[in-house]
Amino acid sequence: MSNDLNVFIIKYGFLVLLVGLIIFFSIFASGFAGPRSAVFIFQSVAITGILALGVTCTLVVDGFDLSIGSVATSSLMMSAYFLVILEASALTAIIACLLMGAFVGLINGILIVRMKVPDLLATLGMMFLLIGLQRVPTEGRSIATGMRLPSGEVADGVFPESFLWIGRHRFDLFLEKLIPVPVVIFILVALFIWIFLELTRHGRLMYAIGSNERATALSGTNTNFYKVLAYVISGVTASIGGLLLAARLGRGDIASGNNLLLDSVAAALIGFAVLGAAKPNALGTAIGALFVGILLQGLTMMNAPYYTQDFVKGGVLVIALVFTFALTSRSRQGGH
Amino acid sequence: MNLFKKLTSSILATVMMLTLVTTGVFAAMPAPLDNPSKVKIALVRYLSTGDFFQAYLSGVETQAKALGVDLRVFDSRQDAALQADMVDQAIALGVDGIIIQHGLTESMQAAAQRAVDAGIKVVAFDVNVENPKIPQIEQSDYMLGKLALEQAIKDNGNTFKAGYVYVPGIAPLDRRDKAWQEIKAANPGIEEAAVFGTLDNPIANSNANQARSVLQANRDITVMFAPYDEFAKGVKIAVDEAGLTDQIDIYSADVSTADISAMREPGSAWVATVATNPAVVGEVCVRSLAIMLTGGDPGRSVIVPPTLITQKFLNDNDIKNMDDLGAKMPQFQHADVAMTGWMPLPKR
Repeated sequence: MSNDLNVFIIKYGFLVLLVGLIIFFSIFASGFAGPRSAVFIFQSVAITGILALGVTCTLVVDGFDLSIGSVATSSLMMSAYFLVILEASALTAIIACLLMGAFVGLINGILIVRMKVPDLLATLGMMFLLIGLQRVPTEGRSIATGMRLPSGEVADGVFPESFLWIGRHRFDLFLEKLIPVPVVIFILVALFIWIFLELTRHGRLMYAIGSNERATALSGTNTNFYKVLAYVISGVTASIGGLLLAARLGRGDIASGNNLLLDSVAAALIGFAVLGAAKPNALGTAIGALFVGILLQGLTMMNAPYYTQDFVKGGVLVIALVFTFALTSRSRQGGH
Repeated sequence: MNLFKKLTSSILATVMMLTLVTTGVFAAMPAPLDNPSKVKIALVRYLSTGDFFQAYLSGVETQAKALGVDLRVFDSRQDAALQADMVDQAIALGVDGIIIQHGLTESMQAAAQRAVDAGIKVVAFDVNVENPKIPQIEQSDYMLGKLALEQAIKDNGNTFKAGYVYVPGIAPLDRRDKAWQEIKAANPGIEEAAVFGTLDNPIANSNANQARSVLQANRDITVMFAPYDEFAKGVKIAVDEAGLTDQIDIYSADVSTADISAMREPGSAWVATVATNPAVVGEVCVRSLAIMLTGGDPGRSVIVPPTLITQKFLNDNDIKNMDDLGAKMPQFQHADVAMTGWMPLPKR
């Protein structure tokens, strides 16, 4: 009996908590309940969510990618550089950023599998490298139309409407102008990663590498390929996040992206607890990101001061980790 | 004794005047700046990342170039201990003057004293080193906040519902907050519906998320006071996304080229900002130091006054970037502080 309860808590405890939270805020935070508010919560987590899905892939192969935050801000600066200074088209800028993300992921992967640099260290190095590199072309300045370049010329390029569209356009769904493009992209990326990890042979092999790399290698799998692939996916998703950020801000703001990194790692780790998975998974990551988003927006609506936010994120993460590790291992013991 | 002092100084002054007259244009500067390439000054920085600090540095560089002095830049990148070490490095290098740019009182007070003891002239920008021999140079953050709020009252009357973006514990924001508290106390009709704000980067994006939920919860806000341009950018994104562009006016502080284009978007809610030109602040720092090097006194406290910049002014004069702004608004291009008759100004 108590065993059943335990299983229930592990599988659904976190979702129950989520629903409880939504009910709580709907009652106590004016303006929280409603379709626009819901969409807005999705929007606020879309970018960190997309990054978190990339981290999930590296976690699956028992790796870790610390460089995603700086890949995202590099992509933000790079798209601004292409649009404003080189006056390239939106499509060129987008493709260039995606390639840059893939390339960074490839380098990360090669450092890790070929040069045998531990994943944390390799991606940490990449993080610093990118934080510095993204500032080189403009000598540390933010990029905006009308800025004076180091050469003394004035940059005349603008963010074209077609580029801003990916950050600002809203699709009609029942209500006019309801669903912003970043939310759609977030859902598409989540679906893609979920299908890839759960339903394809490649995804299965990546999980196998994560649990026992040696055994998987001995079964004839090219484990190095899949590990590099995980970092490439992570780099590409991070650059998508950066593009959405650029389109929303409409300018190239210098930023380290460290908060993006921490928030998305938290979302991926919270995802471990969803449905008792106790392992990295795409669905969990998406729900983890939403969970944090709901909490933060609800608290902001209730006028909670800014420093409660990190505290709350930390609280959620700790609770999620307890769900994942303590309860899961206890139920396993109970089963024997 | 007093008479003797007066006498000698007036003789000295006369001698100086004579040398000035006899040695032509360049020697218009008093010693030791009559031979400026032999004069070494150091800029010791605590904060350097971001548009403001880049512009500040360019101001320091151009004014140093105008004077012809040898400028060395030490950048501690927010490492307080390293910044103090860098002052010692500058002393060892034998510089004649040091500009301390930001930093912590606790770590810089002793280092600044060591520099003064070594006979070096020191000025401090936006950091209090608790030393009567060191002039404090400041942009008046209090005035930034006050001018923006006075404009808000001029535009909206003294009865409105406001959202306020504030993160306590950041010195300039705390000084701007003082203006908000005063205005609020003086105008009971101003209702502070919500206080929010975060410095999580990217700052504009994080604040956009927060502002969005504040607007959702308080649909009747008409004024947003965001006394830092990154905050204002975030609020503007949220206001646009919420479709409240026509209803809300945003008042902020600081300005950059990107801010100008955001303010000038058609129908933009960002109606006014108040700013000191960071490049001018940099120039004032170097000029104050130059005055001290020649034996003058720029005063215990040198304040660079801020300027109100409205959306209307930007549109009327078709201002696209900071250069245009400087050209159309002379008080933004040059602050008439720390000036002497002989002071060479950077070429515009």
